[in-house]
Amino acid sequence: MKIALTQERIVFALAVLLFAGFAIVLPNFLTAGNVLTLIRGVSVLGILGLGMAVVVIGRGIDLSIVANMAISVAWTLDMADRGVPLGVALSLGFGFVVLMGLITGFLVAYVEIPPLFATLAMGAFIYGFGRAALLSQDVIQMPAHAGILNLAGTGHVLGVPMPIILLAVASLLAFLFLRYTRPGRTIYGFGDNLQAARITGLSVRPMQVAQYVISGIVAFAAGIITATAVESMNTRIVNGTLIYDVILVVVLGGVGLSGGKGGVRNVLVGTLLIGVLLNGMTIMDVQYTVQNVVKSLILLVAIVVDSLVNPRDEQTAQQGDI
Amino acid sequence: MRSRVWFGRVLPALFGITLLAFGVARADGIDDPLRAPTLNAFKGKTVAFLPLSMGFDLTEGWGAMMKHQADELGYKFEIRDPNWNTDAGAQALTQLISEKPDIIVVHNPDVQSYARLLKKAEAAGIAIIQVNMKSATPTQYYVGADWIGLGERAANEVVKACAPGKGPSTKIAIVQGALTAAASIYQIKGVDNVLSKHPEIKVVSNQAADWDASKARAVTQTVLQQNPDLCGIIGFWDGQDTGTGAAIREAGKTGKVFLITSGGGAKSACENLENGTFSADTSYDVPGQGRDINSAIRAILEDKAATKDLRVVLYTPLRVLTKADVKPGACWTPQSLFE
Amino acid sequence: MVETSAPTGADDAAAEAAAARPRFSDTLVRLRYTLIPDHVVGEILTKRWVDNAAPALFLVLVIATFGTLLPDFFSIGSLTSSLRQLGEFGCVVLAMMIVLVAGGIDLSVGSVFALGNFTALLLMNVLNTPAWVALVAVLAVCGLVGLVNGVLIGFLRLRAFLTTLVTLIIVRALVDMLLLRYATAITAGSPDSSVWDFVGDGSIGPVPFSIVVLLVLVIGGHVLLSRSRPGWRVMAVGGSRRSAHNAGISVRRTVCGTYVISGLLVGLSGFMYAARLSSAGAETGVGLELQALTAAILGGNSLGGGRGSTGKALMGAITVLVITNGVVRLGMQSGAGSMILGIILILAITVDVRWLKNRYKVLNKVYVSPAYNRLPPAPETAAGSGSPYAVNDKLRDVEIIGLGVVEGPEDVIFDRRDDLYCGTRHGDLVRFLAPDYTRHEVFAHIGGHPLGMQFDRDENLVVCVGGMGLYKVAPDGEVSKMTDETNRTPFKINDDARLRLTDDCDIAPDGRVFFSEGTMRYEMHSWPVDALESRGNGRFCVYDPRTNTTRTIIRDVLFANGVCLASDKQSFMYAETWGCRVRRYHFDGPKKGRIEDVLPNLPGYADNINRASDGNYWLALVGMRSPPVDLALQMPGFRRRMARRIAPDEWLYPNINTGCVVKFDESGRILDALWDLGGKNHPMITSMREHKGYLYLGGISNNRIGRYRIPGADPTWNGYDAYWGARA
Repeated sequence: MKIALTQERIVFALAVLLFAGFAIVLPNFLTAGNVLTLIRGVSVLGILGLGMAVVVIGRGIDLSIVANMAISVAWTLDMADRGVPLGVALSLGFGFVVLMGLITGFLVAYVEIPPLFATLAMGAFIYGFGRAALLSQDVIQMPAHAGILNLAGTGHVLGVPMPIILLAVASLLAFLFLRYTRPGRTIYGFGDNLQAARITGLSVRPMQVAQYVISGIVAFAAGIITATAVESMNTRIVNGTLIYDVILVVVLGGVGLSGGKGGVRNVLVGTLLIGVLLNGMTIMDVQYTVQNVVKSLILLVAIVVDSLVNPRDEQTAQQGDI
Repeated sequence: MRSRVWFGRVLPALFGITLLAFGVARADGIDDPLRAPTLNAFKGKTVAFLPLSMGFDLTEGWGAMMKHQADELGYKFEIRDPNWNTDAGAQALTQLISEKPDIIVVHNPDVQSYARLLKKAEAAGIAIIQVNMKSATPTQYYVGADWIGLGERAANEVVKACAPGKGPSTKIAIVQGALTAAASIYQIKGVDNVLSKHPEIKVVSNQAADWDASKARAVTQTVLQQNPDLCGIIGFWDGQDTGTGAAIREAGKTGKVFLITSGGGAKSACENLENGTFSADTSYDVPGQGRDINSAIRAILEDKAATKDLRVVLYTPLRVLTKADVKPGACWTPQSLFE
Repeated sequence: MVETSAPTGADDAAAEAAAARPRFSDTLVRLRYTLIPDHVVGEILTKRWVDNAAPALFLVLVIATFGTLLPDFFSIGSLTSSLRQLGEFGCVVLAMMIVLVAGGIDLSVGSVFALGNFTALLLMNVLNTPAWVALVAVLAVCGLVGLVNGVLIGFLRLRAFLTTLVTLIIVRALVDMLLLRYATAITAGSPDSSVWDFVGDGSIGPVPFSIVVLLVLVIGGHVLLSRSRPGWRVMAVGGSRRSAHNAGISVRRTVCGTYVISGLLVGLSGFMYAARLSSAGAETGVGLELQALTAAILGGNSLGGGRGSTGKALMGAITVLVITNGVVRLGMQSGAGSMILGIILILAITVDVRWLKNRYKVLNKVYVSPAYNRLPPAPETAAGSGSPYAVNDKLRDVEIIGLGVVEGPEDVIFDRRDDLYCGTRHGDLVRFLAPDYTRHEVFAHIGGHPLGMQFDRDENLVVCVGGMGLYKVAPDGEVSKMTDETNRTPFKINDDARLRLTDDCDIAPDGRVFFSEGTMRYEMHSWPVDALESRGNGRFCVYDPRTNTTRTIIRDVLFANGVCLASDKQSFMYAETWGCRVRRYHFDGPKKGRIEDVLPNLPGYADNINRASDGNYWLALVGMRSPPVDLALQMPGFRRRMARRIAPDEWLYPNINTGCVVKFDESGRILDALWDLGGKNHPMITSMREHKGYLYLGGISNNRIGRYRIPGADPTWNGYDAYWGARA
């Protein structure tokens, strides 16, 4: 049987190769502790990737995911710091991401702004609004009495760090949602062909809105994990390169930016490769600018090979498909 | 250098005394002929503050103190906040030069970015006070930490803690800020100065965490995995090193790995010292820096001509805080700045 | 074409009464629709440059807002310092724009900018090269990055977003590594170059150097993009990649080229930035890609390609800079700038997206802009009324030529060998061969629908082609263009230089061709809509083959139609369709320039005019007037509401289904009228031509040519010989 060479398989093969290579070369690489550390290091990235993947499969992109994560959680922590009961603060933070998701979704689905710009603008708005109106500091410290919430970032179950468990749970949920539920299939439907989906009678627009709400909720969850792990939330990550890393893990695994293709597995494969790379290179004490170059070159190789193996055709290429 | 520091310190102090004297004179009901001109010197003057960004302990602290003095003495104080964007900062500085305030208090992002603009500003007759990061262009005042000294200090502490036989090993790790950030470059220079004299200390990891706690945490976690016997870590900023500390705690090594970091000495620093996240925190004392900036502002506004050719460098006295030093008043809060 | 209900007698009477005496309110209506140029709105909406209205409005609003909030916003010093930055930022936005227009995106601009800045400083400060060497090196380095992008995206066809994202990260990492190594050396060095200082600090007159560069690029870029082959290719690729590919454009090379240009522009910008600030900070250009993208989109360049201009890029660049700098200067809290930019971006794109989506809906509603047109009461046409127009059935038994062979023979004509020519809507000239006209052949293919025709002295057939202009067909069938444009009217929004609907022509003995253009506001296929407007959109022009020039001679004609030279050869008769009249224009002789009424009030809509064998003239009436339409023409408000509120096929059109042929003499007397009352063989007539005792009839929506035997006509008369003189 001939195995078609898809981007996912290429990336998976790369990840396995690298893993094997590091295991041979680096003495302490292949220990249970290090493998857990490896996955632990990219679990938040993986969770954000899942949220992004849901949007990308529906032919969108969510550039506001990092801003959503940083501001909603920072606001929650800030309220808790100032004595608002933790439950209320969490609900308000959750409400914030839902509201922002609704606005973004409305802009994309009903105003018909291209997602790239709707989320770019919303990202700028969310960060700006948060910094100007909600928060007075860049870095919000975790309140001392956060209690069980701390488990999200620092707890263990049977020796496995909580973030890894949460990544697994999120993956399972996303898998079930995308594979077996009606809304999940709808997302594939309109991600593949919006006009056809609409003509077929699928309720495209409400689901488009829902996509952004989902990615907002995922961002909030990822933010809670991040914040509890380091006991603070730094809103400056919005200006950093995290958003590019999130897109990286999504597309690296082969979720097509033109929509309708890929799934949870692809995100996990992409996350795994990044995890192996980062961990191995950190052990080898490679400077992180060099790590960035290596990371990018691997992505480049993956998409070049993909393009050579599955070339795009001028006749079928979609207009405005960048 | 010493004499300059002395000079820079004494001059503002003299003003303080003078002002005090006015206060006394007023209490006696005698009209002091010097008082009106002195106070009038501040009327209609403008001081602009160009930080890297507002919203974190250093700039908020300085800003609050400068504003306080401006309100008291009746000159105008403006903040231009470029929000971490160097290009926007350069543009704001260009703009300020064309607006010609009396003083610009500049918080340089690095030695390079504003160098040429600062030269221009001085040529345009604007007094420049640089804060916490020296530019390649020396100006009238520099108030702030000695970054190389800071690095040396931190390295010395770690060398002490991890000398052969004292710690579990002589392995240490360094968690830098952003690789290219000047604060990082200077600190690493200081660290290198010390470590080159101590070949017994082995650096097993030297990574940049981009001032980001999550990244610092991931890096530290990996390093601890690889080197369970790690003795010490030098962190470059306490905001980022909450992540480093979290990784140490998660590995169950709190107290066993010596983590020294540095920062502005705000309340959170004391909290982290107290709960053992940091072993030591070098504070560059924001309230002290704020006072120094204010003195410099007063000196310049009082007599611009006399201070014109000064080149004063006010290095902040560094203070290494440990758990033992944590007591009320050791760290500052926004409220404590004016007490 | 659709008349809602048959008018009752009472309505008729009312209409006639209203027509008989113009009331004061009528005068007001007339003045209202004469003085206020409603049609301009629709014409403006058809222009591509109105796309810029929303971005321009935003720009004005933003400047007004910050100008009010910041006291010294407009001061010279303040402006100059902002302008230098604009020069640099503008180049980056131009780079983003050119890539966007071709349907791509370039996220690497921020990093490439930093690379350009670094390269320039390294060469100037450390290696101490001359400024021009540094410039060439910077352009080479940045162009190379652009080339890498271009090859990957253009030739390997990777996705632009991901590829440039990768180059963004790689180039940034590269710059960081280089900076670690050379930052100290760069800081220490200081170049001694007057050129370098001029680039960073100099001005040409009051204008900073970088702005001069930007303006040159904006103007030059606009010309290139809109008026040159490479520019059209870029627009075509962005507009429709597939069509461009199928049209033979090298899509890959064009796409690759845009990234190279982007790299070069960004490099230039980085060079100017380096010269101005000499700052090799690590943060240089971080986030610039999002700022540039925001600016490009705010200016109205669309993502996905095909729509964009340098002017749009410039507007966007100014808007973004004013906002970002303004917010910093206002001393607002961190984040306020980001928030404001986000809101403005959302608003601007919303307006833009809705505008693009609804523009044509709005245009369809407002383009038709009726005017006041009052016709005198129509002459009687009832049978037995004694009117010269009285209906009869003379055309009922016309012979049929070419049934089903021709579609839309608007005009028919004969050559000296008695062969019959007519046009079809397929864009052909069909020739029916004498003597029995059963055989036919395609004489020439022109492409547009041939309308009025005339032979010139050398037996070339001069043809008015709808949508194309005036063409000449040589006896061997070779087609050549005579003219397709006339002199442009100053300050007219619709470009009236181009001929849209050339309709009929006649040729003076000296070779000048007088021809009509029905309307300047509608295309050929929607010519009846012009009746709804009755605005006087038609005109007559003259083409002079001796000088190869075209001039407009009569304007504001209510649908210019038939043209026929009068017997004096110094004037011509012309038909004004919606004006229901025939007039005579003297182009030479003692009455030169004068216009006289010949038939001031016809019962129908006048079409082509041709000569008869007895020295009189044949005139086709394409349709007959009806009281409701006549009344509607005096009620422009009513027609306007109709055009806006109901679908075009429900509109009240004049009747163009049933008409007749009349014969008149130069004094304006009606000599004969020919009807096909039953509509059996030849109801619709747009043209007729007498030849050897017969009258041949054409109709623009007919599938046949009619042939009517004229009682008592000269059986040897043919139009060519009669006009140009018989030849051996």
